[in-house]
Amino acid sequence: MEIIVSISDMKVTNRAKDVLVTHALGSCLGLAAYDPLAGVAGLIHCLLPLARENKSPAKNPFMYVNIGVPQMMRALFGRGATRENLILKAAGCGRMMHISNQFDTGANNFAALKKLLQVNEMRLAAEDVGGTIPRTMRVYAETGRVVVSSCGRSWDL
Amino acid sequence: MSRREDILQKAFAIPQMPMPVQKVLAYIGNPEADLRQLARIIEYDPGLTVNVLRMANSSFFGTGGKVTSVREALMRLGLNRVYQLVIASGVAPMTRYEIKGYGLRPGELLEHSVAVATASETLAKELGRVAPPHTFTAGLLVNIGKTVMGSFLEVDAIPILALAHERHISFEQAEEEILGINHAELGAILLERWSIPIPIVNVVRYRLRPDDCPEPDLALDLVHVGDVIAKMTGIGMGIDGMQYTPSEAVFARLDISPEQMEAVMEAILEQIAEVREILIESTL
Repeated sequence: MEIIVSISDMKVTNRAKDVLVTHALGSCLGLAAYDPLAGVAGLIHCLLPLARENKSPAKNPFMYVNIGVPQMMRALFGRGATRENLILKAAGCGRMMHISNQFDTGANNFAALKKLLQVNEMRLAAEDVGGTIPRTMRVYAETGRVVVSSCGRSWDL
Repeated sequence: MSRREDILQKAFAIPQMPMPVQKVLAYIGNPEADLRQLARIIEYDPGLTVNVLRMANSSFFGTGGKVTSVREALMRLGLNRVYQLVIASGVAPMTRYEIKGYGLRPGELLEHSVAVATASETLAKELGRVAPPHTFTAGLLVNIGKTVMGSFLEVDAIPILALAHERHISFEQAEEEILGINHAELGAILLERWSIPIPIVNVVRYRLRPDDCPEPDLALDLVHVGDVIAKMTGIGMGIDGMQYTPSEAVFARLDISPEQMEAVMEAILEQIAEVREILIESTL
């Protein structure tokens, strides 16, 4: 079954037949996670890098990389995944042409992810980030295969 | 005939806005327009009546309290807001189609247009400015040229995008190279032909290149950034994606901080759901 992950949303599954999909990744981050031993997959679509402290508690944690990604990890661990076995792949984080760095939300989203992974001693197995293209990202729960598509073309990540 | 002339000629064959909308617009243009008479004209059309009532009762447009008659809605929302709403009701349904050539499924362009419109108004609030009355409607109409090109004229955007990527130029520049006209200009020409007020037409014409506008316009600045924000969030994005260049002058003029931009991105995700429902369910 195809399960849609909307903007600021996250889904995990351990049903082999499921495919998690998120559309319309602009400057947002799409992060796919898969543990081949536990047979569990997850996908999150984050709009912004950081939940601002003055707005706590955040209404929707999945909107933000800094609190949404850890929450997805906990959901995956709860279904038997382990940090050592998790395979992480990132897509999205696009940018408008010539936009100034301070408004480059895509780059900030990716930087927030890298920082989070570094602190937790995890790394990305693959990434397809930046540029101006819109992306759709699919994760096949049976194999952990991640496919990115844009403008009528698709490629494996 | 050049490609540009061919496109314009075909675009001019597209039907005008629905009759009830034209009637209301003509009436509001009359300097002696009064609210009672206007209410009667709107009440004559069930689609418009439902729209006006739903807008008046929505949390985005409304001011609290239940509104049950068109007259009450007019009092509550004011002539200006209703005027904008009527235009939106007339043109928004055109953005519901599938825009095949631009990689948009049915409803996606409407979703994007609603995101631009709500982002523009929310940005004004975030900046502590008052958005000019035509900001929302202009935001809603900025993509009308895309509808015409991708749906009515069956333009295929893939070669346009390929040229843009190859030459590192913006998408609208590539449209000009291949078609002799870009979707913003085409939209503005059509709206002008339909007698839509000039301030709205100007925002549509210059929204991708606000620096070309002869005089600064707050509504244009808000819609330009609102459009950038909508594209970045990815809501209803076509294959052209983010192949556009934001104007540094506009960002400087509005004095926006990254935090304010992020706050607008957060807010519109909730707002678009409500506004979209109102526009999608309108049947004119």
